[in-house]
Amino acid sequence: MASFMRQSSLLRQTCLSAFRQPLVTKNVTGVSQVVAFHASAKKQILPPPQQVIQGTMNDPAPIPESHPSEGSYHWTFERIVSVGLIPLTIAPFAAGSLNPVMDAVLCSLLVVHSHVGFQASIIDYFPERRVPKTRTSMNWLLRAMTLTTAVGLYEFETNDVGLTEAIRRVWKA
Amino acid sequence: MISQKVAQQSLRRLAVQQPYAMRWSMMNAASPAAIAIGRNVQTRQAATSANTEDPTKILARQRLNRPVSPHLTIYQPQITWFGSGFNRITGVALSGTLYLYATAYLASPLLGWHLESASMVAAFAALPVAAKILLKGTLAFPFTYHCMNGLRHLGWDLCLGITNQQVIKTGWAVVGLSTISAIALALL
Repeated sequence: MASFMRQSSLLRQTCLSAFRQPLVTKNVTGVSQVVAFHASAKKQILPPPQQVIQGTMNDPAPIPESHPSEGSYHWTFERIVSVGLIPLTIAPFAAGSLNPVMDAVLCSLLVVHSHVGFQASIIDYFPERRVPKTRTSMNWLLRAMTLTTAVGLYEFETNDVGLTEAIRRVWKA
Repeated sequence: MISQKVAQQSLRRLAVQQPYAMRWSMMNAASPAAIAIGRNVQTRQAATSANTEDPTKILARQRLNRPVSPHLTIYQPQITWFGSGFNRITGVALSGTLYLYATAYLASPLLGWHLESASMVAAFAALPVAAKILLKGTLAFPFTYHCMNGLRHLGWDLCLGITNQQVIKTGWAVVGLSTISAIALALL
């Protein structure tokens, strides 16, 4: 019985494909026109890396642990920093330069904004599954550079004229 | 078709006349009575293939044959995604300048460099006018573009101007305004 059913479904398939056959146009060399989309040479910019399957084949995608400094809070924090930069960017143009306190606030927000922006870029361009070691080292490089930048800007603010005033002086030079 | 009818009819006849025979043959399961009198025969299918390869390896190999999603180069250059990409490029350039300068300023006493504002001003003042304008413009354009495009991004976060036409219009507006203001700043 079962084998009989299988045979009948096979028959049905051949019937349908017999109808379908004339729709596939063929050129002189007998190459199907349907595959023309793939006719150019295969040049992959980022070929797939070594494929591995962790666990079994049917494990669900892992749900990341929720963390207060990740996800929506992080996103809102980014926006607050960005919005805070708007008046601090406009003010020097109106006033010539900023007073030391506002200049320090501007520098702090710039460091945070830059750090978050670099972090997003690292996450986008160094995927963990493709280049895990580069990802880790870039993250640590960013942390180190953010630290040196913050300390460097602190030195610049305390021993020099401040960021906006320095830019104004160079611009007028 | 005729053979199908014949088979169907004979199966119906069998089902009506000998229901137990029908059930045993169809379900391939012995009834309790058959087991009690020892009339059941267990049949077990032997494995048809001698494939002992790790199935996870097969899946991994099949995944390598999947097409790779196309890269940016296949898309038509449009202001919507060019503007977005340029926003990141300008941001990285500006922040990179800040990071490199501040880190170099921190290390300058060790390296003997003079990066304090007074020597920067003196060095800049010594440049010819064309170089001054070029340098100012190179710094001013990423700044104006990133600031103005940043306002667009904050607007999108509030669901303002997110239709395709609006994104195209504001995109070109930002390109125009940032270019004009960068030229103005360069000539300042």
